[in-house]
Amino acid sequence: MKIFLLFATVCLWNQSVLVVTADASDYVLCAGGTLAKLASGGAQITLVRVTNDDKDSVNLLPEETANRVRQESEAAAKELGIAKVIHLGYRAGELGGVSPTELRDRIMFYVRLTKPDVMFIPNPYAEYVEVLDRHYTGMAAEEARRTATMPNHQPAHAIAGLSPHIVKELYYYSAPVDPRRREPEGPAQFVPQPVVRDIAGTFTRKLRAAQALTTINQAMAAAIHRRLEDTGRRLPLFDRGLTESAVAKLVEENVRGLAALCAKDTQFRQAEEFHHAGPDYQVPLRYSGAAKR
Amino acid sequence: MKRWLFLAVASFLQAAEPLPLVELPKGQTFLVFQPHHDDHTTDYGMGGLIARLVDEGWKGWFLRASNDEKDGAASYGVNDQVNLRESQAAGKVLGMEGVYSMSWRNDYMDSIPLLELREQLIVLIRKHRPDVVLGHDPWAHYDRNPDHRKVARALAEATWMSGLANVHPEHVALGLRPHRVPVLFLKARWDYGRGHEANVAVSLTAEQVRRKAIAYQTHRNVYASPAMGASICKQLEAEGLTATELDGLSDGDAAVRIEEWYMDWISRKVGAANGAKYAEIYYRVAEFDHLPGLKSYLEKSQLKK
Ligand SMILES: [Zn+2]
Repeated sequence: MKIFLLFATVCLWNQSVLVVTADASDYVLCAGGTLAKLASGGAQITLVRVTNDDKDSVNLLPEETANRVRQESEAAAKELGIAKVIHLGYRAGELGGVSPTELRDRIMFYVRLTKPDVMFIPNPYAEYVEVLDRHYTGMAAEEARRTATMPNHQPAHAIAGLSPHIVKELYYYSAPVDPRRREPEGPAQFVPQPVVRDIAGTFTRKLRAAQALTTINQAMAAAIHRRLEDTGRRLPLFDRGLTESAVAKLVEENVRGLAALCAKDTQFRQAEEFHHAGPDYQVPLRYSGAAKR
Repeated sequence: MKRWLFLAVASFLQAAEPLPLVELPKGQTFLVFQPHHDDHTTDYGMGGLIARLVDEGWKGWFLRASNDEKDGAASYGVNDQVNLRESQAAGKVLGMEGVYSMSWRNDYMDSIPLLELREQLIVLIRKHRPDVVLGHDPWAHYDRNPDHRKVARALAEATWMSGLANVHPEHVALGLRPHRVPVLFLKARWDYGRGHEANVAVSLTAEQVRRKAIAYQTHRNVYASPAMGASICKQLEAEGLTATELDGLSDGDAAVRIEEWYMDWISRKVGAANGAKYAEIYYRVAEFDHLPGLKSYLEKSQLKK
């Protein structure tokens, strides 16, 4: 048993993880606890952040917003133990006008460069996720994982010393808004399956990471406040204004609420939900050798 | 009216669990964003809800995003104009304030930049500041109509991005301010498989269904044609059946009557499946649904001013 644990720790220690996110907050809120757990185990995690989040702020111009969120997203990633953040810098909300192939190849570059064992990507099939940048990013990342294995995609990469790479494991993450997100869609070999992961041990780090995104959080608080004001309602939390502590408390409620929602009907107290494609994904058991075990 | 459609709809409705009958949200303005002249009057939703909103004091506008040039037997230009006129007439029957037409090329909307179409919707949202938007479900599966998909996708983003000041900040020069749409009612054909699963039902009165039926058959360029009336009467005759209500009617009037019966039947059927006399069903995106972690906290903690 001890030898097994040692072996598992060494494996995790060497594990390389690539996280792709459309924006600064999505991966933190959907997968932050799980990533912090992997980082604690020694995994080397790289984050590719596709857009610059330049739209979401209170009384800040897009350029200023983008600058601030860039710094804050570095701080959030640090809280989770992410080693490196790559900012692709696409303008937020405008991925619908970006070539999917271009985006795929930008992500594929980092798949080949960081050679991950595991990828975390937005679930492009999650329904009722209103931020379509997440859908476009998920589609591109899913495709990048496939094309990264094929030398005839961007052959120039090989000339510069970047070889094809197979990512063995894939997690799709998404905010829990799709009413059918827990329903499996087909057999495990061919369709990623819904899984729930315990995050009680890393919840605090996830919360600190979410709270580090102050520009986005202030915008969220202001939008809620405005909506309630406009409709003759108020939140006692905001009675002294949208103070730093009130916004931090709102974020805490959000992160706690998400963790509880994802833990619903499981043995966990705090959790995150994914669709998971393990090493057997798209490889029928009879070919992978797993059936013999 | 095709027999398979009756059968598919009837079997779907028999199988489904009853949905919660919901109250309308608080508000006074709604917009309907759809590609085609007749989308606000289809059997699978909108016309009844529009009539009910109007009856409860709301004001609403309809956006026709395409030019409908292919819908009808006439030439492109004629179809465009006739379909628009009929859409305006149908909107009046339902009690709407008006129809905007963006007139993009029907069934060739793929080449429209999505962000341009989205901006048009954002302008209308910021101008009218709707409490509710109605349209096709952007997440529905199997909708083979490319215009439905394109406009739905633009709607999915326009309804929340219109609330961000840094999205098209140039609109400020027009006196337009950011406004996020809090509630959506989304429709899709329920006989298209698993894709769209409605989560609410909206009950309707007989009078609202009557207006919905009239609005539907007002689109004479594409529905209630005399040829359709004649063909159904012939079919009844061939099967040895009679419908005394159709006796003495012209083929055109018979077609109108049949279309109205159908709309009454389907609205009754949806009502019966959901505990109401008449109803329509929708996927409703409610206030703060986009914040799943905060929704119950906000519901519990908010107070009246
Ligand atoms: Zn249509």
